[in-house]
Amino acid sequence: MNHCTGYETSLGMSRRHFLSNLGMGLGGLALSDMLTPQALAQGIMGSPSFAPKAKRVIFLFQSGGPSQLDLFDHKPTLNEQHGKELPDSVRKGQVLTGMSGNQSSLPLVGSPFKFKQHGQSGTVFSDLLPYTSKIADDICVIKSLNTEAINHGPGVTMMQTGSQLAGRPSIGSWLSYGLGSDNQDLPDFVVMNTKNKGGQPLVSRLWGSGFLPGKHDGVRFRPDKNAVLYLNNPNGVSASTRRKALDALNTIHHQQLEKTSDPVLETRIAQYEMAFRMQTSVPEVTDLSKETEATFKLYGDDSKKPGTYAANCLMARRLAERGVKFIQLYHQGWDQHGSLTKKIGVQCRETDQASAALITDLKQRGMLDDTLVIWGGEFGRTNYSQGPLGTNFGRDHHPRCFTMWMAGGGVKPGITHGETDDYGYNVVKDGVHIHDLHATMMNQLGIDHEQLTYKYQGRHFRLTDVHGHVVKNIIS
Amino acid sequence: MPVTHSIRHPLQLLCSLAAVFLFASCEKKIVAISEEAEAETISYEKVSFNNHVMPILSDKCFHCHGPDAKNQESDYRLDTEENAKKALEGGGFGIVAGNLQESVLHKNIHSTGDDMMPPADSNRSLSDSERKTIDAWISQGAEYTKHWAYIPVPKKIELPEKTEWANNEIDQFVQDHFAKHQLQPAAEVSKEKWLRRVTFDLTGLPPTLQELDTFAADESTDSYEKVVDRLFLTDAYAERMTNEWMDVARYADSYGFQTDRSRYVWPWRDWVISSFKKNQRYSEFMTWQIAGDLLPNATREQKLATTFNRLHSQKTEGGSVPEEFRVEYVSDRLHTFGTAFLGLTMECSRCHDHKYDPISTKSYYEMSSFFANIDEAGLYPYFNDDLAPPPTLILSTDAQDKEIAAKSASVKIAEENLTNTRESERSSFKTWLKNRPQEVIWKNKLAHITFDSISGGKFPNSVNLKIHAANNPANKLIAEGKKGGAVKLTGDHAINLNLPKIDRDAPLSVSFWIKPAKRHERAVILHQTRAWTDSASKGYELLLEDGKLSAAWIHFYPGNALRVKASKALPINVWSHVMITYDGSSQAEGLKIYTDGILAPSEVIRDQLTKEIVKRVGKSLTIGQRSRDKGFKEGQIDDLQVFARDLTAIEAQQLFDENSLSKLLVKPHTNLSAVEQNQLWQYYLANYSAKYSTALKSLHKSRTEHNAVMDTTTEIMVMKEMAQPKKAYILTRGLYSNRGEEVTANTPNFLPSFPEGMKKDRLGLTKWLLADENPLTSRVAVNRYWQMIFSRGIVATPEDFGSQGTRPTHANLLDWLSRDFMDNNWDVRRLLKQMVLSSTYRQSTVTSPEMREIDPKNIYLSRGNPARLSAEMIRDQALATSGLLNQQVGGASVRPYEVAYSLKPQKPETKNGLYRRSLYTWWQITAPAPVMTTFNASKRAVCRVSRDVTSSPLQALILLNGEEFVEASRALGLKMLAQFPKLEDQPAMVDAMFRTLTSRLPETYEREIFLKLYRDQLDYYQRAPKEAAALLEVGHAPKSKTIDDASQAAATTLANTISNLDECLLKR
Repeated sequence: MNHCTGYETSLGMSRRHFLSNLGMGLGGLALSDMLTPQALAQGIMGSPSFAPKAKRVIFLFQSGGPSQLDLFDHKPTLNEQHGKELPDSVRKGQVLTGMSGNQSSLPLVGSPFKFKQHGQSGTVFSDLLPYTSKIADDICVIKSLNTEAINHGPGVTMMQTGSQLAGRPSIGSWLSYGLGSDNQDLPDFVVMNTKNKGGQPLVSRLWGSGFLPGKHDGVRFRPDKNAVLYLNNPNGVSASTRRKALDALNTIHHQQLEKTSDPVLETRIAQYEMAFRMQTSVPEVTDLSKETEATFKLYGDDSKKPGTYAANCLMARRLAERGVKFIQLYHQGWDQHGSLTKKIGVQCRETDQASAALITDLKQRGMLDDTLVIWGGEFGRTNYSQGPLGTNFGRDHHPRCFTMWMAGGGVKPGITHGETDDYGYNVVKDGVHIHDLHATMMNQLGIDHEQLTYKYQGRHFRLTDVHGHVVKNIIS
Repeated sequence: MPVTHSIRHPLQLLCSLAAVFLFASCEKKIVAISEEAEAETISYEKVSFNNHVMPILSDKCFHCHGPDAKNQESDYRLDTEENAKKALEGGGFGIVAGNLQESVLHKNIHSTGDDMMPPADSNRSLSDSERKTIDAWISQGAEYTKHWAYIPVPKKIELPEKTEWANNEIDQFVQDHFAKHQLQPAAEVSKEKWLRRVTFDLTGLPPTLQELDTFAADESTDSYEKVVDRLFLTDAYAERMTNEWMDVARYADSYGFQTDRSRYVWPWRDWVISSFKKNQRYSEFMTWQIAGDLLPNATREQKLATTFNRLHSQKTEGGSVPEEFRVEYVSDRLHTFGTAFLGLTMECSRCHDHKYDPISTKSYYEMSSFFANIDEAGLYPYFNDDLAPPPTLILSTDAQDKEIAAKSASVKIAEENLTNTRESERSSFKTWLKNRPQEVIWKNKLAHITFDSISGGKFPNSVNLKIHAANNPANKLIAEGKKGGAVKLTGDHAINLNLPKIDRDAPLSVSFWIKPAKRHERAVILHQTRAWTDSASKGYELLLEDGKLSAAWIHFYPGNALRVKASKALPINVWSHVMITYDGSSQAEGLKIYTDGILAPSEVIRDQLTKEIVKRVGKSLTIGQRSRDKGFKEGQIDDLQVFARDLTAIEAQQLFDENSLSKLLVKPHTNLSAVEQNQLWQYYLANYSAKYSTALKSLHKSRTEHNAVMDTTTEIMVMKEMAQPKKAYILTRGLYSNRGEEVTANTPNFLPSFPEGMKKDRLGLTKWLLADENPLTSRVAVNRYWQMIFSRGIVATPEDFGSQGTRPTHANLLDWLSRDFMDNNWDVRRLLKQMVLSSTYRQSTVTSPEMREIDPKNIYLSRGNPARLSAEMIRDQALATSGLLNQQVGGASVRPYEVAYSLKPQKPETKNGLYRRSLYTWWQITAPAPVMTTFNASKRAVCRVSRDVTSSPLQALILLNGEEFVEASRALGLKMLAQFPKLEDQPAMVDAMFRTLTSRLPETYEREIFLKLYRDQLDYYQRAPKEAAALLEVGHAPKSKTIDDASQAAATTLANTISNLDECLLKR
């Protein structure tokens, strides 16, 4: 018979004390976790392994694959050789998608947009991005992202989970698992998508916890008064009615707890109290009415319309202010296989101003230093035209190189990293694979990406699989 | 806390924490009650290889010193005794049995230098207790035994002594552990709580008040058993068991992946219900699902069961490579098979030999080839997503069957009539022959495009002005064709001939001259389809494949189609004449290719066409190009003619040489050879015989009618073995395009060999699974059902019985149950009955602090596990207690309120469909029902054999505010008010409601609390009539017009509150 007193006293406080002081996090607790002290702390890591530069991440995901060749990666060669066949020496046997792979010709297409250097840094942007151009000195543009996935399903899954195959935990779930939350009244991983956007469909597993416990799922905020599913009391039920009902429940649960000392009951009590608090904390964070006119002006007119990209960017800042660890935005519609010239303009009008505003806003509030913002899609687009070359040209998917930008959270501002060849087809310098991006992001949060693992089906899994290197040149 | 433990699985962390604390106070023994160490008392006097050593070696060493010898830096292996004990390259031995100092392994695990094991940068490290365990094992002789799960279940398992507490054998095994750990069993739960528990466990529903009363009153010795027997006979039992299996089978009403359209698979779910309803033996249940189609004279039900193998996600995203996804499907079938039936993580061996278990990559592909031999497409069609991807089973109704039989008979009669008519026309033919017209005529000609001129972007048609060939100007007219001008195609631009759609009952011939510029691996010459894989190639098409003509009539390629392919390639850069002709028979023999006037030697590639080929097909016969397919680049076409009949051989010759038939027509009939007479005989019948023409029309009509009935039938995806097994290969790094060594179907060599004389197909595979010496099948099944009843498997990782899985907490019990299960015909009800009638199952969840401290996770089952009810049970309980539940069994999936809030919102039902049991909730893989998933329902994208259970505030919000839960509270409140209308009935109403929801009467203080809540709310709502009315508007169920709003609203709050009690939501 052992005489150990257990961890409670050894840590100098009771389990009850943990619950009442630390709360339980919105994601909730696995019942079996109730007995582990870790479950009561912030995340499995307790605290980051080393001093983090970033405390949170906002990922502005541009779903569909924005054309790097028309936004960031200026290639005069394509304009010079417009209409000429993509040289085999450039393509190097690359497998193409079934959409353009059977075309009898692959004509190069130069960007119809004008490019210019901006800011002290001289970072290049096309005239599609007037607002992003203005934050040139705050962001780090990476032109050498690359991936293996050539279609959306696997591509987005790779960007969000580090694997092309469905079933792995998403980035936010890993962070929730590793770091937990800084605000016990809000979820640690929030997802928002721009409403009424068509395009490549989003699927809920992109913010799913995969094989991690379900409490690490991203929580989707919708653009209506029930931001979280069934957040509000039903019609006809007042806050005081609810309080009375909860008090009745509490009284009985406490009585039962007294009798049985069953820790599961403590979880139940905490669960209902947290739900009650959320009914205040979520409307508070999603209510934009107290934002100033100047702020709305900064983010653009759309920011007053719930569910727009601009409103979501503003919401992202509010969530960041309140300590939400990972905020994931989705904006669909970048999949321009045809009529690219027209459609990309629409996308930029919807996103450019608010993306830049978010950086400016965070900076003004002194939050950019510890907030890492990432902008980008799942892959890039081809330098040749999908379908016949003409004014309605489109670009097919291109995994070998694409552009993303990052800002804040210890990432060097005002730099451009990585280069592609004159045709904008292959990376020629400082390639950054998605695994590297993930490794770098985790590094900024104080996580060694090789150390945060979870055992499932007998194997220790991690976000970066067995790959990934921190991109040292872009971090300070 | 040691640094090395800073990031680990919480359970490992707990384990090591526990160890740290326990070390402090315990000297010789480590009591480590955790999932990882299985709470076995590690006595260093005798270390168990299987229980103590293997888990450490596997987790900490195998990654570099394990079964995947090819992909690890070190040659040294610890997974087999022979390797572990042989001489090391650098001298010495890894393990010298009984000699610690001579064992390099011992030295290295204690080293802090370069030879430290595991290495500092490996992300793995050993705890002190783990080192101690390994040392003790080496000292004791370093005995290797086979991994426990790979040893066949013993024929006989010694039963521990029977005690008074024990009700059956289960209890004897369970209690055997109590003594070892100073545990005392918890008190027995009340009868009513037991009834609640067992009713939920076996039916997913709470007991009714009447059932509670009946059981309370039954004092017979077999009263418990009677309950179990009663429950087994209910539909609810079959539904509950089906619900559990749906997770395993990854059942969903949509295809998954990106586009995620709907699919029709619920008849399979209903088959599962019927199987549980009749207590089908597990062995048969399994056999039918894996290989029902291969059983002798397989019935429709047996074939339907195999839909199990087709429930994986399927792809339709544009531009995807079909083979990539076909390989994915086959893999998913294997992974599901491995997880569901063998408890093996096959996934790991897809790219490299398994790091922990002896499953090689070769073995993976040998196993997967069992599941590859069906004629399936890699993608389901974007444009025709209503079609079930072949192979399919036709689920015709009896009425349809009758009609199909009648129409088939009519077709047969019409065919015989045609033959007879042909013979009866002999004499008129002779007359005609003597007096025949000398001009060649072409009956039923629809179009003739000469490509000599173009006007207004169209090539004129000399036969019918309404049908013309619209050209894309990129295709240029060239002067030097075969006959005058011709067209040269770009491959990216089409010529569209606006022909009417032609279904599979109609004959068709197309003739043209063609000049390919190169040997095309694949090129589309002509087609009338909407697209390639994006529409399953539905329609008809003529391609060049490896330079050879290939004609196909297609419902869904490849499983439902005819394809005939010429044996020889067309010559390059010369003009050839081509004619294809099809007779409307839906048979490959009715589809012919002629080149230069001669029937081309051909091979039949597909010969199974059972459904229409026109719905949502393009409106033109298109030449030279198809979306996302390879066009006929640089190819030339001339003199295209289309006929609405199957042309005869002599006509084909005539089209080629413009001479053969003309010559015969002028030849004196006395000079005609027998062959020539026969040729003219065919020509006469086709063009001149009115009787033959009538008979042909009648055959056409019969076929049309027959096909029309066929087209009304529904189909479901099933397995149907191909006559020739598909070739299977090792795919290097798991990549579909990296074919390595060819392999054939086989089972892994560390498991018993394939039964002698059995064919190596899926049916043989089931015999192998069910062989007595197969160590896994029975254990895995028993463990899954144990988990269903006791919340946690005897093996806590039901998906992994391999070396990285957890060890059984009650190994002998698992073996005993497995043996009993096999010896008793795999009878699931018997198995479940043993569990729920055990004393173990009857224990209360309440225990003393001492017991809780000894075994905090209740691994030894000295009390009941307070498991939360499943998502389905929680919702079904609300429906059942409120009286809203619609008890219809089976049928199409339904959309309750919550689908309106899913990621891809759908319109909820408006009537009864709102109140069906949750297993019938529409399951959309990429946007699953949000209430269900918040309560941890499996997402069903892949096979899952357990669910994690969490408790989150989001769940509380759903239960308190969710439409369906508020509506159910309303209905329950109303039901109670109707029963207890008077003011003085209020306490009785509270009692009845409380008992309905918790299966017990409230204690006095509880009654007071709720009575007060009710009265307080009644008072409030009387003062706030609008609020009351608003609350009564929630949901579709009508409010009462005779009972006042305030009472109904107050009763709603009361019901809603009670239903959120811990004991309503947990098994207590």
